[in-house]
Amino acid sequence: MSIDPNAVQRTAEKVLAEEFLSARSKILDLAAILDRLERAPGSIENAAQMQLLGQCLKILCDDEFDKARRVQLLMSRQYDPDWRKTYGLH
Amino acid sequence: MDYIDPHIHMVSRTTDDYETLARMGCVAMSEPAFWAGFDRGSVESFRDYFRQLTEFEPKRAAQYGIRHFTWLCINAKEAENVSLSREVIAMIPEFLSSKNVLGIGEIGLNKNTKNESTIFLEHLELAVQYDQQILIHTPHLEDKFQGTRMILDMLMGDSRINRSRVLVDHVEEHTIETVLENGFWAGMTLYPVTKCTPQRAADMIEKYGPERLMANSAGDWGPSKPTAIPDLIMELKRRGHSRELIRRVVYENPRQFFSQSKNFDPTILPG
Ligand SMILES: [Zn+2]
Repeated sequence: MSIDPNAVQRTAEKVLAEEFLSARSKILDLAAILDRLERAPGSIENAAQMQLLGQCLKILCDDEFDKARRVQLLMSRQYDPDWRKTYGLH
Repeated sequence: MDYIDPHIHMVSRTTDDYETLARMGCVAMSEPAFWAGFDRGSVESFRDYFRQLTEFEPKRAAQYGIRHFTWLCINAKEAENVSLSREVIAMIPEFLSSKNVLGIGEIGLNKNTKNESTIFLEHLELAVQYDQQILIHTPHLEDKFQGTRMILDMLMGDSRINRSRVLVDHVEEHTIETVLENGFWAGMTLYPVTKCTPQRAADMIEKYGPERLMANSAGDWGPSKPTAIPDLIMELKRRGHSRELIRRVVYENPRQFFSQSKNFDPTILPG
């Protein structure tokens, strides 16, 4: 037997069949959260978190891959390569 | 299947958890020193904590046939208190010859502050001085990417650090690649809310392969599942992966990594 994870690659058809219900349930969870926000009193249209969620949803729908990594990066604080200088650490 | 959990905080788990883990195949574990959920008031609290990690927990684990190892440090959150951190760092050498100590950890960053970075560098100095392996905590959520890059800068900026003796934990999709490609070991933490699921961990194994990659449960006082590694094993089996691949990630890799510590005798765990 191989330790190469690609030795037993599942076909796209198989992945879809196996993961469809899980994806369906996660999309419903997300849809219900958005409905809950809509029903709640108060205003959040301009909240930074809402803008961020909107940008993430766009990543899910675009034609590019590497979606998990791109969502993670979008949700991340920026890295400054000169941080040590800013902190006065050498 | 026998497995090793390389990052689990057993001080916050019950004895029943030890029994469950043993039944599920856990044969060894390593417990890095971490934050207790509240800031401790003095260096003596840490001395007692280190005694718990080096004397009490190994005995509790042994009752269920599990080998217990540990890592010592002051965690990133309490490292914000620089003077307390220096007292703790000065006390750590008293414990480094304890039989179950594998090295310095889990050191790292929390909010990526100047104080945290200062104490991180002082821990690196301690590790170099005593020839210790290092286990690293990377920050959560929006701080993870920035903090991981800062940690790698500090590690790679010190030519005395042997990268194959450093484990960088809590890697996720946006941090795993830089950690692995720079020669460090990487740990994926299976945690219900803030970190990674067994499914996403399986995806990363498929994408990057098993070389220098491990998984852990963190199993701490927060919402966490100490049996998360068996969940990952199930997921990999479900996807049709070989026993050899799974064993490499959940058993052989941690065993090989631990073997670089003076206090770890690999013959106590079958190869
Ligand atoms: Zn931890």
